[in-house]
Amino acid sequence: MRRGLRAFALLAGVAGGLLATAPLSAHEALSLEDEFVKGVFSPAFTPPAAGSYELPAVKRVPGVVLKDLAGRPVSTRHVTAGKVAVVSFIYTTCPERLGCPLASLALQELQAKLKDEGLSRHAMLLSISFDPVRDTPGQLAKYARIYGADPRLWRFMTAPSERALDHVLDSYGQDRAAVYDEQGRFTGRYRHVLKVFLVDPAGYIRNVYSAGFLVPDLVLNDIKTVLGESAPREVVRR
Amino acid sequence: MHSGDLKTRLLRVLVAVILAVIGGLVGSAAADETCQSPFLPKVTGQEDYIYVWTLGVKGVADGNDSIVTVDANPKSASSGKIIHRAPVTGRHEAHHAGFTDDRRFLWAGGLDTSQIFIFDVGSNPAQPRLVKKISTFVKDTGGLVGPHTFYALPGRMLISALSNAQDSSGRTGLAEYSNDGKFIRTIWMPKEAPYGYDVRVNVNLNRMLTSSFSGKKNYMRPFGDLVKDAEAMKQFGDSVIVWDFHARKPLQILRVPGAPLELRWALLPNHHYAFTSTALTGKLVLIHQQEDGKWAAKDIADIGATIPVDISIAPDDSKVYVNTFMDGTLRVYDVSNPFEGKLIEQVKLGEMANMVSSSWDGTRVYATNSLLSQWDKPGDYWLKGYAWEGGKLVAKFTTDFNPAGRAHIMNFGSKVFGPKAARPAPSGERVSAYAAPR
Repeated sequence: MRRGLRAFALLAGVAGGLLATAPLSAHEALSLEDEFVKGVFSPAFTPPAAGSYELPAVKRVPGVVLKDLAGRPVSTRHVTAGKVAVVSFIYTTCPERLGCPLASLALQELQAKLKDEGLSRHAMLLSISFDPVRDTPGQLAKYARIYGADPRLWRFMTAPSERALDHVLDSYGQDRAAVYDEQGRFTGRYRHVLKVFLVDPAGYIRNVYSAGFLVPDLVLNDIKTVLGESAPREVVRR
Repeated sequence: MHSGDLKTRLLRVLVAVILAVIGGLVGSAAADETCQSPFLPKVTGQEDYIYVWTLGVKGVADGNDSIVTVDANPKSASSGKIIHRAPVTGRHEAHHAGFTDDRRFLWAGGLDTSQIFIFDVGSNPAQPRLVKKISTFVKDTGGLVGPHTFYALPGRMLISALSNAQDSSGRTGLAEYSNDGKFIRTIWMPKEAPYGYDVRVNVNLNRMLTSSFSGKKNYMRPFGDLVKDAEAMKQFGDSVIVWDFHARKPLQILRVPGAPLELRWALLPNHHYAFTSTALTGKLVLIHQQEDGKWAAKDIADIGATIPVDISIAPDDSKVYVNTFMDGTLRVYDVSNPFEGKLIEQVKLGEMANMVSSSWDGTRVYATNSLLSQWDKPGDYWLKGYAWEGGKLVAKFTTDFNPAGRAHIMNFGSKVFGPKAARPAPSGERVSAYAAPR
């Protein structure tokens, strides 16, 4: 799969290079940018062994009631109770090479690794949409199918309102800003830093990943590290 | 995992990406300070602002340390001028500052009082606003003193310190805080190399470097007295530590005599090396990974007895900029061959010089001249902007800081990171933010 990610980056980079119409100086910088992009997709390290390091709590996140793919209200705590959760924020029309598509590809690979390692009952993936208007449960379901999400292991949710979404974004510390065109019209795009959160069974964020460090083997080792702690933190009551 | 399914899925995503590219999302040259954390989104296009963390001077303005905003956009009517000043209360030995991972907040530290000030730069990028103060750094961290480098990690700030509360020596460590300002942990330097100064991460290699300086009893002492005290002059660090970044564990200690200061990783993914400069021995030093995977340090240029302070790297790794304090000079070294630094350009900035920052497109360079309140020489304080033209660095503007204080570190700002993308997106400009690779 790592080779697949590299191919993705290279092809996307080539597409960007071929289609750029910027002046020479900008074109040169664009080529350089694509070199950087390739680096993001090709981390050159073996993650440290699970359990050989600590992951201190960054902060605690509250549960929130969102909508599942059937449009039913569901508490995130109910979904993640007793498990290590890998929580990402995405929207299905995100066009950024290093944004949501990268996160979802990495989570797809992580899902396969969790199955291979027999961790399906102890961990889960949760992707929450930035765009509660356009990412209806039906739209999210299509997206989930594209990425081969197994509903037993990888859940998708959308917020019932902007207010509910703002609450969950604030609690995680995830930025999001709508992007407008020159006439002040919403472009359908959101500016955001890619972040994926590792949340322990007690609701504490134990690590945060962004482009360049969202490496499935590394996340897997972090999950094992948290699961292997001899003195687990308090379990959140549902 | 079925490879056929995978190919189909990848193809679908690729089509989406290519369509997005056709839609004009890939565009103009990137521009930003090249040495920021790799976890920060890059600014695209011309930087709009330079935030300068400025030492307060008694009798100047209100006498307080402040974040001073300079308009950096040459198309603006106020280009090169101070357009805003956000003071804190008191003088704290303003030194370094750094953005959180989403660029919404700028953290700034005082080396004397160990206070940390958090400015909101997202709500109105032209007018940073002080929103929080951390006064418990020493207590939180179990005795770290002198917060120096503020380095964005996803959801967290990594802070290197210079000293400790027990003996004010250079024994120190690293601290982590959440973006909310909550203390997470302290990582003390190993006993074999107890000093600290800068910290920089290479995400592609999962490696972190730390460098070494001196304790509070030295950096808060008048420079003239310090250099005459032979014993005190021995109390400077001589190491660069290579860490497993993810595990936060030291892997290797490199001996780099003479107080290696700022660390700058090469930026291209296949360039497995970094640079530093030594304040007391005047060397430009390469930190490189050998074929056996071990790291080594090598002097690659003799800068001279001028106290090299800040360094900056060109975005294509071709050049390293070096500011030297004593003679107020900006030197540029060609490091296309990283094992040999060749001096290719030299600009006299003034009577002294400190920080230097290259833009991400490699065409602009900025410099300031205050180092430490007890070490600075009397004289003018400024921010200067230069641009490469015809193979030479040409002066573009000088911002007079004498009415505001002493100009120290620079951080680049952009309207793009304002609330709800306050600046409409010109066609062809990439507007989404993502973390840069390194």
